[in-house]
Amino acid sequence: MGVVLPVGTRKGLFLLSSADRSSWDVEGPLLQGWAVYHAIVDPRDGTLHAATNNPFYGATVHRSSDQGETWERAEELGLPEDGELKLNATWHIEPGRDSELWLGGDPGVLFRSDDGGRTWQLNEELFAHPTRERWQPGAGGMCTHSIQLADGALYVAISAAGAFRSEDDGRSWTPINQDVAAEFMPDPYPEVGQCVHKLLVHPQHPERIWQQNHCGVYRSDNRGDTWERLDGNGLPTSFGFPLALDPEDPDVAYVIPEQSQEHHYTADGRLGVYRTSDGGASWELTAGGLPDRAWVAVLREGLAFDGDGIYFGTQSGSVWTAPRGGAKWTEAVRDLPPILSVEAAAA
Amino acid sequence: VAVVLLPAVLAVEAGGRKRFELDAATVGEALRQLPVRNLLFDEAGELRRLINVFVDGVDVRGGRLLEEPLRAESEVRVVGAVAGG
Repeated sequence: MGVVLPVGTRKGLFLLSSADRSSWDVEGPLLQGWAVYHAIVDPRDGTLHAATNNPFYGATVHRSSDQGETWERAEELGLPEDGELKLNATWHIEPGRDSELWLGGDPGVLFRSDDGGRTWQLNEELFAHPTRERWQPGAGGMCTHSIQLADGALYVAISAAGAFRSEDDGRSWTPINQDVAAEFMPDPYPEVGQCVHKLLVHPQHPERIWQQNHCGVYRSDNRGDTWERLDGNGLPTSFGFPLALDPEDPDVAYVIPEQSQEHHYTADGRLGVYRTSDGGASWELTAGGLPDRAWVAVLREGLAFDGDGIYFGTQSGSVWTAPRGGAKWTEAVRDLPPILSVEAAAA
Repeated sequence: VAVVLLPAVLAVEAGGRKRFELDAATVGEALRQLPVRNLLFDEAGELRRLINVFVDGVDVRGGRLLEEPLRAESEVRVVGAVAGG
């Protein structure tokens, strides 16, 4: 089975495709003029969706049903006209359970589309969440960057508001941040306000959730009710942004640690993907093929996986790929614009 | 009619058209007829901060920009603000 990687960059979208994951065709830039914070191929119908942002023209979403040949822009997307808040950015698109799509954005907002991405309806319950006044923006804005659907539940994670779970399709939201540190707050274990950087639910074991946080790597085995901090034990630092899982083995996860919250580049000047195969009890460096010395950054949407491989893109414009397990890395393409996101889809 | 000229990114979003001929008495009336109006205006109906408008070569600024009257042959040019280094 071939693969296509929608790679969102600061200067448009690139599509990397390969039949053997060894030689790659590069198409792009598509959506020129737009920073593509995230892009997906919807597995239900093959439509490309891209969260697109422009410093002059604002935040929107584009869709293409012909592999990027032509694009349509969302017709309706925004916050209430009479409110004080405005949509600052679109961050993440997630296919839903049925035919719907979900979209996360800044300032800590969630939208749903029931017409394939043409119009988007604000999730009023998250928008008016009683804890919102205790949320605050991280360095990248107050972004809803993680949306997960699993076992009848809907999860979102927002920086820096924390993680929330809905059992009723978004009509109510419960904070799920117990035992998750917010060391930058006066109370380091608040109900909300945690700076989640990426959150993923295991696709086969929906009770198991992982998150890379501003303050550590965490695993939950009870759908987010409680969390265990997992850093140390082989990880050079607790700080990083991206996270990937193994689609079958719930004990496997990957992170790319950064030096610190002040210094957003690879820890110890070593570009490496750290892998655990024991649920986070220990971590090992997988860096075969990666440069020994490198000071690069991989953003929160910059790491992807499927059943055959793992893929990441750097702010310096390289896309690296490895077979599942991450033992041996090869550079699929280099010198793209700064990479904001990587996803993987069957082709 | 007034002529409205769009920059490249907006022209793509307008279906490939960069030139529009519109009946409009003011700048705001002209811009709100464009198929890219939701890229020019935010959800509160305010012109986005980094969009400049030139009318007949003059950079129109300030709170009354959208009320700026147009003549029959006015040329309205939409320009992204020059910012940064």
